[in-house]
Amino acid sequence: MTAEIPFYSPQGNEESLFQHAFKNQLPVLLKGPTGSGKTRFISHMAAQLNIPLHTVSCHDDLTASDIVGRYLIGDGQTVWNDGPLTRAVREGGICYLDEVVEARKDTTVVIHPLTDDRRILPIDRTGETLHAPDNFMLVVSYNPGYQSMMKGLKPSTRQRFISMSFNYLKPEQEQQVVEKETGIDALMAKKLVAMANALRQLKDHDLEEGASTRLLVYTARLIQSGFDPVEACLAGLIEPLSDEEDVVSALMEVVFASFGR
Amino acid sequence: MEEHVGQLWDKLVTQISDRTYKESAVTLSEVSKPLGIFFRALGGDNALRIVESTATQHFAKRNWKHRLAGTGKYTELSWQDEDTLHLPKQINLFPEAALNKDCYYWLAAISAHSLENPSARERGLQGWFSYSQSLTQQVLERFPGLHSRYQRLVTAYLPLRQIDEQFTPEEQGQEDAIAQALNKPGSIEQLPTTQYAPKPVLLWPHPNPPEVVDLSAKKSQPDNAEEEEESSPSKPKKNEQENKRRNAERVDMPDGKDGLILHRFESVFGFSEFLNVDRSTDDDEEADQDSADKNADDMDFLSVARDNKTKGGKVKFDLDLPAESSNEVVLESDVLLPEWDYKKQILQKEYCSVINYMHDTGKVGELPERLRRTAKKLRHQLETLTTKRVWHRHQSEGSELDLDAYINYIGERYSGHKVEQPDLYQQLRSSERDLSCLLLADFSLSTDTWLSNDARIIDVIRDSLFLFSESLRNTGDQFSIYGFSSRNRGHIRFNTLKTFQEKYNGIVRSRIQAIKPGFYTRMGAAIRYAVKKLEVQDTQQRLLLILTDGKPNDLDRYEGRYGVEDTRRAIHEAKAQGLQTFCITIDDQGGEYLPHIFGNSGYTIIRKPEHLPQKLPILYANLTTNPV
Repeated sequence: MTAEIPFYSPQGNEESLFQHAFKNQLPVLLKGPTGSGKTRFISHMAAQLNIPLHTVSCHDDLTASDIVGRYLIGDGQTVWNDGPLTRAVREGGICYLDEVVEARKDTTVVIHPLTDDRRILPIDRTGETLHAPDNFMLVVSYNPGYQSMMKGLKPSTRQRFISMSFNYLKPEQEQQVVEKETGIDALMAKKLVAMANALRQLKDHDLEEGASTRLLVYTARLIQSGFDPVEACLAGLIEPLSDEEDVVSALMEVVFASFGR
Repeated sequence: MEEHVGQLWDKLVTQISDRTYKESAVTLSEVSKPLGIFFRALGGDNALRIVESTATQHFAKRNWKHRLAGTGKYTELSWQDEDTLHLPKQINLFPEAALNKDCYYWLAAISAHSLENPSARERGLQGWFSYSQSLTQQVLERFPGLHSRYQRLVTAYLPLRQIDEQFTPEEQGQEDAIAQALNKPGSIEQLPTTQYAPKPVLLWPHPNPPEVVDLSAKKSQPDNAEEEEESSPSKPKKNEQENKRRNAERVDMPDGKDGLILHRFESVFGFSEFLNVDRSTDDDEEADQDSADKNADDMDFLSVARDNKTKGGKVKFDLDLPAESSNEVVLESDVLLPEWDYKKQILQKEYCSVINYMHDTGKVGELPERLRRTAKKLRHQLETLTTKRVWHRHQSEGSELDLDAYINYIGERYSGHKVEQPDLYQQLRSSERDLSCLLLADFSLSTDTWLSNDARIIDVIRDSLFLFSESLRNTGDQFSIYGFSSRNRGHIRFNTLKTFQEKYNGIVRSRIQAIKPGFYTRMGAAIRYAVKKLEVQDTQQRLLLILTDGKPNDLDRYEGRYGVEDTRRAIHEAKAQGLQTFCITIDDQGGEYLPHIFGNSGYTIIRKPEHLPQKLPILYANLTTNPV
């Protein structure tokens, strides 16, 4: 465990809520748009609580055995190999399933017994039933914004978690975050944040999602390392948001409104 | 000869007085899409439509050339009202196209910031003067990048204001004040007044925008079936030849019996005082349409009255509505549903009443001969599309060995665990789909429009419904089909063609055969009712497909923004229920309001309605196959 706690700027009471949830062994669900600080928040909290963090980025081919574990064939013998979830249950710490809706349906079945007061992980392959230690905590995240036509979190799963909602930061706070993360000057950070907020207005109408804080930080890094600001915005803020040519050119007008032309 | 000379003279003086640059003109239609995005990004209201503004009279002193030519009385400025943002139709003031374009962006930027408070009409000239300056300041402060653009515009604009002008000292003072305000916004408080209004300032909002009248308030008539409506049900009347909008107000209808007679006969009417465009009393329709158009061009202001008689001119009326015939079976009536009032921001409870009925023709319908080949082709196509074959692992039998399962099995056995023989095979099979789809089609009167010599929109919709059902019958997806139309909030007709429980058969076909256009498009209530039908479906995915040909619209205030906002609200409610919604429209103007209702990727526009029948099943297939 490194001593350094990753920087996180709280939006509200989420730190204390998380600590209480941890103390009472309650599972937590984080929801919010992409790049709004969910993952950063978890690494921050893990460091603050001084417990290990096991992160699993879920994708649509992720099955239950990927997180629980499987037998591997070694030198003339087979070896049971713990998945990240099993490892977390054995060692304690936070098991963080990022974008949990992406995973296959059978994974949710596996995590259910861990989320109620039994706090157990039955592994049918090995016949074991693991009891989670006190410092084990299950955290999942998902992004309600892009409900792909096919996916959503089932109510029966949602109701097993304490939920926290993440949103974009207030302009002043976001500006601080951008400054702190990249070392960019206050004026430039302010401009970038104003622009991001302008772009966020277009969500649901012209764009599917607004510009994330993460994209802002990336853009600021490009600028900070000496890249032309307007070009940096095109590459870091505009192009990631839309593939349509005329939308991109319209969004560039918004960039010009901030940086001049 | 005389006329010829007159025309030449007119051409000449108009040319002399015309100080615009036609070659570098930028039109609103060229830039309206990016401009809209720009406007919304800078904080403009999402629901506003951008339209070309009317030329309004500015009452400023004209220079001698303009007076000579009789031009320059009007100018196009920008302003906004409740549901529209008015911008000039074209800007050709500057010699460079880039500047003209910049001017559009500048106007969009100030409009996005515009507070319109105090109301534009009450603030007066001085209020306008200081408001414009503070607006400019605010915009520049928030978007410092606009500064250079603004400076360029002002630098180019100020000299243009001086061309051909001979100002009196007072007027010069006024002009200087405006110049100072443009150069250094916020630096001057009072605008010196002269006997004329100041020269219009293109870079500022309209000093006194035309008044908007709340339509619904004017409509005093109670809901009345006989009351015929002036506008066509859901498609805006298109006037292709000239799209210039005209300044208008709504007035009460002069009483036909004694209206004009009240004036003394000896007084001579300027024809702008009262020109009869009340078509009901004119007989010569064709010639009259033209002359009325001409007159409208010449008038300063149009007064529109709501008559209690309506006569078809360009709009065809067919209120020969489908008879509530004996073969209509009412399934459910007086279902009360809420409606969203965006002005008050409240959901009005039990506001709309829906009646759900079904045609019972007693016949068994056949698929029309001409559709059979297409149906067969589509069925085939959809089979391959919807039944995507994948390897199913861990099967007790199958064509191949599941290596993964086998290794696991061997591994577990070697590790000393006693395991039963697991399922070690894999099989290529189609994946399971767990989906129900409700197709909701618009049967409003506008679907009665003829598309070609032998097909109306309703015919295209009918064919679409046929082919949709034909294509889906073998896929195993559950689907139901409904149609809707409405006549005021108390009478929303929901036509059941096929429920989820029914099989697609001859009876359903006969119902599809029997569909008829009628009434209007109260979309919000129809969607809410459809959601009720769909939300009880116990499938993993539930899709609400909406097929329409125009904007939400009904007899009462359900039009324009009210209808759009209510529909948007209904869609949001549906999404909150976990339903997926998608709209298919053949309204090529749909791009203006559909993103606001359905989101950027929640709709599609079919440009050629005659392609709809073939496209619908394919669209459905694309929508419902798993995105990679």
